[in-house]
Amino acid sequence: MVKMLKIVPQKCTGCMQCELACSWVQTGTFQPSQSLIRVNVFDEEASYAPYTCLQCEEAWCMTVCPVNAIGIDDAIGATVVNDSLCVGCHLCTLACPFGTVFTTPQTHTAIKCNLCGGQPACSTTCPTDAIVYEENDQHGDWFGDWSQKVETNHLAAAENGGGS
Amino acid sequence: MATQHIIIGGGPVAINAVETIREFDAAAQVTLISDERAHSRMALPYWLSGQVPREHTYTADDASLKQLNVDARIGQRVESIDPDGSTVTLDDGSTLAFDNLLIATGSSPSELQIPGTDLSGVQNLWTLDHTQSLLDTIDGKERPKVVMIGAGFNACIMVNAMYKRGWQLAVIARGQMPSARVIDEGGAALVEPWLREKGVELHCGATVPSITDAGDGTKVVELDNGTTITADAVVMLVGVKANTDLVHGSGIEMDQGILVNDRMQTNFANIYAGGDVAQGPALYSDKPEVHAIHPTAVDHGRIAGANMAGHEVHYPGSLSMNVLDNCGLQTFCFGNWNDAEAETMTISNPGGYIYRKLLWRADQLVGAVLVGPANDMGMLTDVGMVKGILQTQTRLGQWKQFLAENPFDIRRAYIGAGVAQKLIGMTLTGQASRPRGFRFDGKIPTAKVSDAHATFMGTK
Ligand SMILES: Cc1cc2nc3c(=O)[nH]c(=O)nc-3n(C[C@H](O)[C@H](O)[C@H](O)COP(=O)(O)OP(=O)(O)OC[C@H]3O[C@@H](n4cnc5c(N)ncnc54)[C@H](O)[C@@H]3O)c2cc1C
Ligand code: SF4
Repeated sequence: MVKMLKIVPQKCTGCMQCELACSWVQTGTFQPSQSLIRVNVFDEEASYAPYTCLQCEEAWCMTVCPVNAIGIDDAIGATVVNDSLCVGCHLCTLACPFGTVFTTPQTHTAIKCNLCGGQPACSTTCPTDAIVYEENDQHGDWFGDWSQKVETNHLAAAENGGGS
Repeated sequence: MATQHIIIGGGPVAINAVETIREFDAAAQVTLISDERAHSRMALPYWLSGQVPREHTYTADDASLKQLNVDARIGQRVESIDPDGSTVTLDDGSTLAFDNLLIATGSSPSELQIPGTDLSGVQNLWTLDHTQSLLDTIDGKERPKVVMIGAGFNACIMVNAMYKRGWQLAVIARGQMPSARVIDEGGAALVEPWLREKGVELHCGATVPSITDAGDGTKVVELDNGTTITADAVVMLVGVKANTDLVHGSGIEMDQGILVNDRMQTNFANIYAGGDVAQGPALYSDKPEVHAIHPTAVDHGRIAGANMAGHEVHYPGSLSMNVLDNCGLQTFCFGNWNDAEAETMTISNPGGYIYRKLLWRADQLVGAVLVGPANDMGMLTDVGMVKGILQTQTRLGQWKQFLAENPFDIRRAYIGAGVAQKLIGMTLTGQASRPRGFRFDGKIPTAKVSDAHATFMGTK
């Protein structure tokens, strides 16, 4: 069984350490806007949680690539971009329905979470263990509860005249 | 006896179908007939721009086809199909029998009916040969001038490729640039000034009555408004037509393309069609559509391949979508971006070249346009999330009002409405995807980690 990133939204404090670590190791910048993991700071919904590629089974980015620049690193079960093959057509950014495949302005090629080759910096750096790198065969099993909470809390906030 | 599959074409439909058939059936006999080498048309602009060599556009070679155990007839054409006899006839007169046939013949640019289109240096720009021919015409010229007639999707892509080369460009568009088939009017209203600022000469609302030879090798393009433009080469990309010649009179049903069901079958259950030549199930449309785009070609090829190999899978329908780099201004369009009856939410900052439009039917998003400078757009989660909302056909309920007030906060609506959850575990063919076999450099991608990563981990 391969390891995956499991998110524990209840533990996330929205401190953004993972974004800084990710942008540094992946793009050499300290800029959350360049991070491949994004912390959702939903204050009105009282919910914080990081969000990145789930290494989904369909791999929409991989199948759509016209030059087969995206493959699977079988050792870690991650869908990875070979940037020397990528022509920068943006089709994978367009096709990924999770919104987790980017194009970096530095090289104009595709970039996505590659689990840092099996040592994800985001998980290492998270001070509260909200990002756990562990063996798991249920892609994103934590997702439903979190979505539900965001929806419910949003509705409550809106009804109370707060929120949006 | 092993099933005999015949595939006509060498584009993304054909190659994805071959690979998918092999995922489900190692024993089947597969014959592929294509007049061109297997390649991705949409990689051609990157060859034209000088970014990659010609070979980078290829999607298979002799070795990879052999590995897939395919009888590949590259350089040959299929001349006719006999659906009742289940045979195809090739250009060398030979006849082949099939159990299953896939027609993946793609599309071609429409012909411009004006004098001068037969001059040398006046050409279409669609195939490997066309790309080579333009490179030959331009060879050795310092800053060649090229006129593009047309403002459709491929015209825009090729303009960007030539811009990257530093060529002088003039575009002649019948209407807006990019055309309404590519983007809404509001989006084009940002692209046009951006392109002009980048030095691309635009002639919108103009047509070309004729092209003549100046005698010195250059061409003179005459516009209906009296303007004349002299150029080293003239490229025509004025529309798309499905390559259906093979099918006329065969009894295979057609409309704008070959009509297919959600398993890519034509009215003959053992004859399949896919990609630019096919008209099939489409999201946000109550009738079948031709979506002549690469993502649809990939989906069609994989769905057809699985079904041909006896693994029944159904296609939910293609989603119209495109991304364009207009010389640094990026545009993304999804769904029905020109739906006149839809309720729209628009925000526009022309000075910053930022524009967004969401189109709605009740609380269902039916289309979207996102425009912004390429360097900013590439790092947004919004683009894919809009695709996810449309692909899953999620009704957004209360989040619609939220988006009216916060059009840049797509992520909150996406998560709250449970879109990602629906996508988890979803696959097109009922099993996890595998990468295709052939790669230009043969290297298997592995996760690359930077030196910064090692330093960083050392501190932990
Ligand atoms: C220049 C260019 C740029 C593009 N850029 C993009 C883009 O950025 N994004 C996007 O989504 N789409 C893009 N497209 C569209 C995309 O390439 C097509 O949608 C896709 O290639 C369709 O795949 P297909 O397999 O249906 O057909 P094709 O790729 O056209 O392949 C069909 C093949 O079959 C061969 N053939 C036809 N008839 C016969 C016959 N009778 N016998 C044997 N062989 C035959 C043809 O010669 C051709 O090689 C672009 C297209 C072009 C031309
Ligand atoms: S941007 Fe690169 S990796 Fe993504 S689809 Fe295009 S070529 Fe492939």
